Amino acid sequence: MAATSAGRVLALCKQFQNVVRISSTIPSQHTGICLTKSSLGRQNLLAAPACHIGLCRPLHTTISRMGLNEFFDLPENWGESTVKSGAPWTVKLLRSKSNEELHKLWYLLLKEKNMLLTIEQEAKRQRVQMPSPERLKKIERSMQRLDTVVEERETALRLLQTGQEYARPADWRRNLFGKVVWHRFREYAIPWYLNAKYKRRRFYTPSFVEPHIRLRMEKNLRARARKADLEKKQLAKLKERFPKMTASS
Amino acid sequence: MRFLRTGRGSRALAGDLGQDQCLIGCGLYPLYQLGNPQLRLFRPNWALTLVRPGREQPSDTVQFRIPMEMTKCDVKNYLEKIYNVPVGAVRTRIQFGSNKKRNHLNQKVKQPDYKVAYVQLSQDQVFEFPDIFVEKSSEDGEGSMEEMQKQFMEDEKQRQRGDPRRAGVTEWFGL
Repeated sequence: MAATSAGRVLALCKQFQNVVRISSTIPSQHTGICLTKSSLGRQNLLAAPACHIGLCRPLHTTISRMGLNEFFDLPENWGESTVKSGAPWTVKLLRSKSNEELHKLWYLLLKEKNMLLTIEQEAKRQRVQMPSPERLKKIERSMQRLDTVVEERETALRLLQTGQEYARPADWRRNLFGKVVWHRFREYAIPWYLNAKYKRRRFYTPSFVEPHIRLRMEKNLRARARKADLEKKQLAKLKERFPKMTASS
Repeated sequence: MRFLRTGRGSRALAGDLGQDQCLIGCGLYPLYQLGNPQLRLFRPNWALTLVRPGREQPSDTVQFRIPMEMTKCDVKNYLEKIYNVPVGAVRTRIQFGSNKKRNHLNQKVKQPDYKVAYVQLSQDQVFEFPDIFVEKSSEDGEGSMEEMQKQFMEDEKQRQRGDPRRAGVTEWFGL
């Protein structure tokens, strides 16, 4: 009996030790890229490596929310002429993140962008220089890159599941004037055979348009020929004026 | 835009990633029909700007500049879901950007219009726009001798720190 209770206490102690060890290692892992000081101070999300997410979960606390104060920089950065910030997120780095992490990161970037826009507007109003305006561009680049990564994943998934190349399906269609156009499909509330407006559209070329297509081609060919002729003539003129001129120049 | 959309003003911000994220990337709102589930909004790219009100406002009112396509409901959802701010009421208006200016060709130059949202906070919350450009009392002024010396010392230190990719390995080992 005594032995089992002692064993239980030991196991408890071990667990406690593990917990302490994990929690002590977490703050030291600020190795990832962090955009600005403020984002590091507020949330460790940017810095947490992917492999430790599972470990962190039992110790996870809710993100500190500061309400409308998140529209402003940290109070210690107020009045500074420069605020240090890291590099924007690269596509390579973002590709190694999971969907969930990207989703969270998007909101972090959005908040940061809102904050920077607020600072910029206030600086404009007071006619002073904004501290470190390059941060805005960095955020925008990061968001753009995040977007490309998510789109890549969506495309890959779509290709696997449906084989569709584009998110919005489209097709080459011939229109009334004999031109082949890239027709992008859209949703309708009713099927096409009930949709009078859709049925009025014509995706074929009537036979009486054919001579006009021929005329159009002729016009294009003539324009092209005239342009080539003009170039040739100009070159000849130049040759006459500067006989020693090489063809490349 | 990267979201799914329902009828006017009834979009919801998605806290978690949903199952149906295939439509996010497309540039068109999917058609909403009655009885469909409320469409979710992933990765909204709307940026809000908190501005200091020009006219004096009640203490619980916050003024924002918002994108044109955002509605009152959107603003409410945005602030409640992303910033966790209790929102009571939202009023919006569209500010006409002036076209009085003329360029060097005497053509009219239009400043872009923008939408302004007046957000009234609930739960007796008050907000006052802080002074974020406070003058920091610096002991030595801009361009003084101490300042320059400090800058110089910092630069020298940075120069002598060496390449961080070498991780402290001496120059002797490298190429």
